[in-house]
Amino acid sequence: MTSKWDTLLLRAKDLMREKSGSLTRELERKDAGFGLGQVPLKSAPDATTTMVCGFCSTGCGLTVHLKEGRAVNLSPTRGYPVNLGMACPKGWEALTPLAAPDRAVTPLLRNARGELLPVEWPVALETFVTRVRAIQEKHGPESVAFISTGQIPTEEMALLGALAKFGMGMIHGDGNTRQCMATSVVAYKESFGFDAPPFTYQDFEESDVLVFVGANPCIAHPIMWERVCRNKHKPEIVVIDPRRTETAMAATLHVPLRPKTDLVLLYGVAHLLAARGQIDRAYIDAHTKGYDEFAAQLVTYEPAHVAETCGIPVETLERLAKCIAEGKRVSFWWTMGVNQSHQGVRTAQAIIDLALMTGNMGRPGTGANSITGQCNAMGSRLFSNTTNLLGGRSFTDEQDREHVARALGIDVVHIPTRGSLAYDQIIEGILKGKIKGLWVIATNTAHSWINQADLFDTLKRLEFLVVQDMYATTETAVRADLVLPAAGWGEKDGTFINSERRFGVIKKVARAPGHALADFYIFKALAEAWGCADMFERWSSPEAVFQIMKELSRGQPCDFSGIESYAQIDALGGIQWPLPTGQTPTASEQRRLFEDGNYFHDDGRARFIWSEPSALPEATSAAYPLFLLTGRGSSAQWHTETRTKKSDVLRKLYPNVPYVEVSPLDAKKLGLGPNEWVCVRSARGAVVVKAFVTHVVQPGHVFMPMHYASTNQLTFAAFDPYSRQPAYKGCAVRLERVDELTARTAQATETRS
Amino acid sequence: MAHGSNVVRLPLIQAYLQEQRELTAVEKFARHHDEQPAGATEQYYEELIPLSKPKPGEQYGFQVDLDRCTGCKACVSACHSLNGLDEGETWRFVGLLHGGTPEVPVQQTVTTACHHCVDPACMKGCPVNAYEKDPVTGIVKHLDDQCIGCQYCTLTCPYEVPQYNAKKGIVRKCDMCSDRLAVGQAPACVQACPNEAISIRIVSRDAVIEDAQAGGFLPAAPSPGITVPTTVYKSERAFPRNTLPADFYAVHPSHQHRPLVVMLVLTQLSVGAFCMDRVVSALVSGAAPALVRPVHSLAALCMGLLALGAAVFHLGRPLYAFRAVLGLRTSWMSREIVAFGLFAKAAIVYAAVVWREPLCAVLHCPKIPETVARSLETYLGGFVALCGALGVFCSVMIYQVTLRKLWSFSRTGFKFLMTTIVLGASTTLFTSALASCLGAGRDGAAQLGAIGVIVAKALALAVCAELVFEASIFVHLRDKQQGELKRTALLLIGELRPLGWLRLWAAILGGLFLPLAIAANLDGTASLGVVLSAALSLFCLSLGELFERTLFFAAVSVPRMPGGVG
Repeated sequence: MTSKWDTLLLRAKDLMREKSGSLTRELERKDAGFGLGQVPLKSAPDATTTMVCGFCSTGCGLTVHLKEGRAVNLSPTRGYPVNLGMACPKGWEALTPLAAPDRAVTPLLRNARGELLPVEWPVALETFVTRVRAIQEKHGPESVAFISTGQIPTEEMALLGALAKFGMGMIHGDGNTRQCMATSVVAYKESFGFDAPPFTYQDFEESDVLVFVGANPCIAHPIMWERVCRNKHKPEIVVIDPRRTETAMAATLHVPLRPKTDLVLLYGVAHLLAARGQIDRAYIDAHTKGYDEFAAQLVTYEPAHVAETCGIPVETLERLAKCIAEGKRVSFWWTMGVNQSHQGVRTAQAIIDLALMTGNMGRPGTGANSITGQCNAMGSRLFSNTTNLLGGRSFTDEQDREHVARALGIDVVHIPTRGSLAYDQIIEGILKGKIKGLWVIATNTAHSWINQADLFDTLKRLEFLVVQDMYATTETAVRADLVLPAAGWGEKDGTFINSERRFGVIKKVARAPGHALADFYIFKALAEAWGCADMFERWSSPEAVFQIMKELSRGQPCDFSGIESYAQIDALGGIQWPLPTGQTPTASEQRRLFEDGNYFHDDGRARFIWSEPSALPEATSAAYPLFLLTGRGSSAQWHTETRTKKSDVLRKLYPNVPYVEVSPLDAKKLGLGPNEWVCVRSARGAVVVKAFVTHVVQPGHVFMPMHYASTNQLTFAAFDPYSRQPAYKGCAVRLERVDELTARTAQATETRS
Repeated sequence: MAHGSNVVRLPLIQAYLQEQRELTAVEKFARHHDEQPAGATEQYYEELIPLSKPKPGEQYGFQVDLDRCTGCKACVSACHSLNGLDEGETWRFVGLLHGGTPEVPVQQTVTTACHHCVDPACMKGCPVNAYEKDPVTGIVKHLDDQCIGCQYCTLTCPYEVPQYNAKKGIVRKCDMCSDRLAVGQAPACVQACPNEAISIRIVSRDAVIEDAQAGGFLPAAPSPGITVPTTVYKSERAFPRNTLPADFYAVHPSHQHRPLVVMLVLTQLSVGAFCMDRVVSALVSGAAPALVRPVHSLAALCMGLLALGAAVFHLGRPLYAFRAVLGLRTSWMSREIVAFGLFAKAAIVYAAVVWREPLCAVLHCPKIPETVARSLETYLGGFVALCGALGVFCSVMIYQVTLRKLWSFSRTGFKFLMTTIVLGASTTLFTSALASCLGAGRDGAAQLGAIGVIVAKALALAVCAELVFEASIFVHLRDKQQGELKRTALLLIGELRPLGWLRLWAAILGGLFLPLAIAANLDGTASLGVVLSAALSLFCLSLGELFERTLFFAAVSVPRMPGGVG
């Protein structure tokens, strides 16, 4: 009797005060093994596997938590030599976009009424082949082009490039990588003799001076910044950037120069170093060519003139030169501030020139180092088969063509004897009626291309637009005639190459929804439909293609024929190129190039390359008095946000309303209050955004993140003449006040469109 | 190479789709993960967590090295992923401070989570004791299964820490990964910060209190004096005087808490009506009070019960509402629930006494002697009014303790009092008109009409006072500084303007136009027209008060840690 009462009493007590129960268990954590520490009980893994992240070029290792082979969670890989157990929010959320409700699950074909409706794969493939062929037969093989990407594995890029050019007879194809690293490619090729970023991430930790030019790694490459933070040498950190970015805040010297005066600044520094003899003559003599001519033309870059042009005090210029002169291990790092410029190639080369003349090459903590953007931009640089022939070779070189034909077992006649048009030239080709069909793979042209309003008109002129993407809702896919549903990162196998030339493996840890297929299978099926499947018989799986790529790389500076297999890459924590046959890689290696001072030009010497700075393509004027800078807004956003906006967590980490950073001085002139709506107008378009009034931008400048589709309604289509890379970071705009109602209407219209 | 279009065979596609569905990572790379050592993670953060337990007078606290926080926000998503939070649920936030001059601009990102305060306002406000502060570690832990989902802690915490999870009907929050710390592992955010900006340190409570008294916490953050947060923000840089959060000038409406709006307005109506019943009984002699009482008590009771019903809708887990008595010692929410609970029960009994005749007839029970019944009516009626008034006072205190300026004691007190008076009077106007009309010819019917006239005039006066008081908020539009009340005023002329207009017109129609028309036309016994007008007046006024109470929630400016742009 008593016990019954006790039980009842206890139950009543429990009912009054419940310390545990089903809701508490929801958040229970347990030690799951695998070196993960505690993880949520509900997603505790029964196995784990490591793969590289599919957003940026850092190439972080992510440990995917698996349950019955399926990914249920992930955490950054502790022992991975790139990220040492860390990831940015995009990496942490990498699995979420796979489950988005707007994934493309079947092919979609536009019908006569203009609606995109689901069709079966055979219909989609036949439509592709019939229409592409019809256009080619009518307008010639050049009339259909493709736009590739830095977001798919190298094996898929190679297959795409080979299929389009050798199988389908297309001549022109380019990649979205044109928008991010074309400048570095050209700069390296001309200076070093091959497109070869020389560094390894360990260099971030080894330098005593780090010079960042047009780079904001705190936001754009947070995990590279992690490596800077781990530098034990109390380094000088110099940031050359018009904005007071997060990285500039963390710097020991910020050089807030006028936009696009970096070339003058770098020549100014070179002049100071040369004039004072603060150069490494022995290195210059042994390993370079053209220094004296370079030094001779530097004399016009007098400090006073340079400082005035750049809008900085002479003392800042002096301090910068002193930093570089006194540094024992100086490394130079650049990103889009340099690459996306009308004179990006020469600016990058001015950085290379500085590294060469001070002998800051080939040693730990040195180098003229381009940080790449996309997860596999480096793969595309070698294997997209667009500008370059497979393996970093040349279409115009007969030997290269023959090597490739031999390696692939195909007739050399299938290999075009000239390179492709660049992205902008393809777009222009559409305008001129030369390009009638376009096949866009894993990129979002309608969002990311410069001067959007013109582009929308241009795309309408196409007879056939095919978009192959994970989502049927991208700005480009909704304009397509045919949408091919693709599997994404995490749903397929392959390799990426990161910024430090490290191969990393991606794996199939999630099932693609509906009838979505890995791009690899889509290309294979298209080859079948086209009737050229026999040409790709050996391309049976991504790993088989990897073996083919090894052959294609043989004898090149990027030779990685010594890598055995995916399993080897996986086990060693990635493998950097080069790794020629016979060389054995070790775990978590850090290798840099040019340790012996031998460059890839025939004479083994690096080149000093320079030219006169050119005028801004669109200078500010009375009508458009402000200079518009664009760039990354937060580390939670990736490019056109095709994927990152699918994650509720990531969406909480950045402003959901487009905004413009305005200096309080400019805001005051305009009578613009903080957080008010404002219209940003260029000669090409106008957008209504929120004003963020902040000293982070200088008076006379405004800044808009590139992730909002509307930003490119303003940009001016100027290009670097050598790399054809668009100059996103420079056009003239003005601000106009708008009232709340106009602003809301404008926002609503934009959301609808 | 064969030319001419080949139709792709369906089996090939099927084979590809089949291959696409096969998950091969484990099979291909199994060797690798079998070799993963267990517990290999500790070396990465051993310097970031304390080696020992806190001694008496000490506790754990987050330490954020601002010089190392560069705004990557990995801490937010790591916390989300490693703690298995629901889609979109986050327990950590990263804001932005900025300021300086064109020559020396400053921006600083700030990561923030629960501050595991020495004096946690969440815990004090909780009506069901669903919060515990660990006596050793000082970690403020939320007991998810104990929570009834009243969300009061989301109002009392000045840092927006407790997050309401509507799907689960409860609040959840950061527990500093207490079970990770217990086994020597670092909390998710500490593990995930690439720059080692977040760590767990042992802090002396006295030192924390001293810091809080001196106001030293973080520029532009809510005053640490309220809850004594233990997080230490350190930086070698000095913040310029004009340092402001990026969202300083952003004004966004707050959560509207609709069930609470209904609950507050209708409880106040009900309490007002019962009080008016007492006032009329005390001031008026003759047959009128007795004539109106049945109608009046019934109307007041119905509204009261409706209000408490609405309150239940506010709870995420209404079945456990009975636990609300647990927090009586510290929580005004508990006190309010208890006061209104008593009020409702007493009101039912009171109404039963008032309706004793028909009730006894229906239930076939002996009649209560009239004298007993009379004094019961007086004392019980007084008790009902007293409980109700106490409940309304508790309602005021609930908002007052949040220390939000719009919800100050005087503002909230005046508002709730005026709602009580206005709706109490309006109900009285309606019930007396109705009773007068129904009881035409009976004793007191004409007297009720006369009472109606007085009430109508008083009502108009009260509504004027109410509106003037509400309009006084716009004075703050002229404030030099963007303070809480200026934000409220900006919201009221901005995004919330339509609601403001609705509130005004409802009050003018129901509180001025109709009562004055009634006062002008009511002479003796009320006509049907007057009854309908009074009903419409009550309806409009109630609607107006509902709009006003919605604005009370929506326009409040919430103290918070620095937010992001926009």
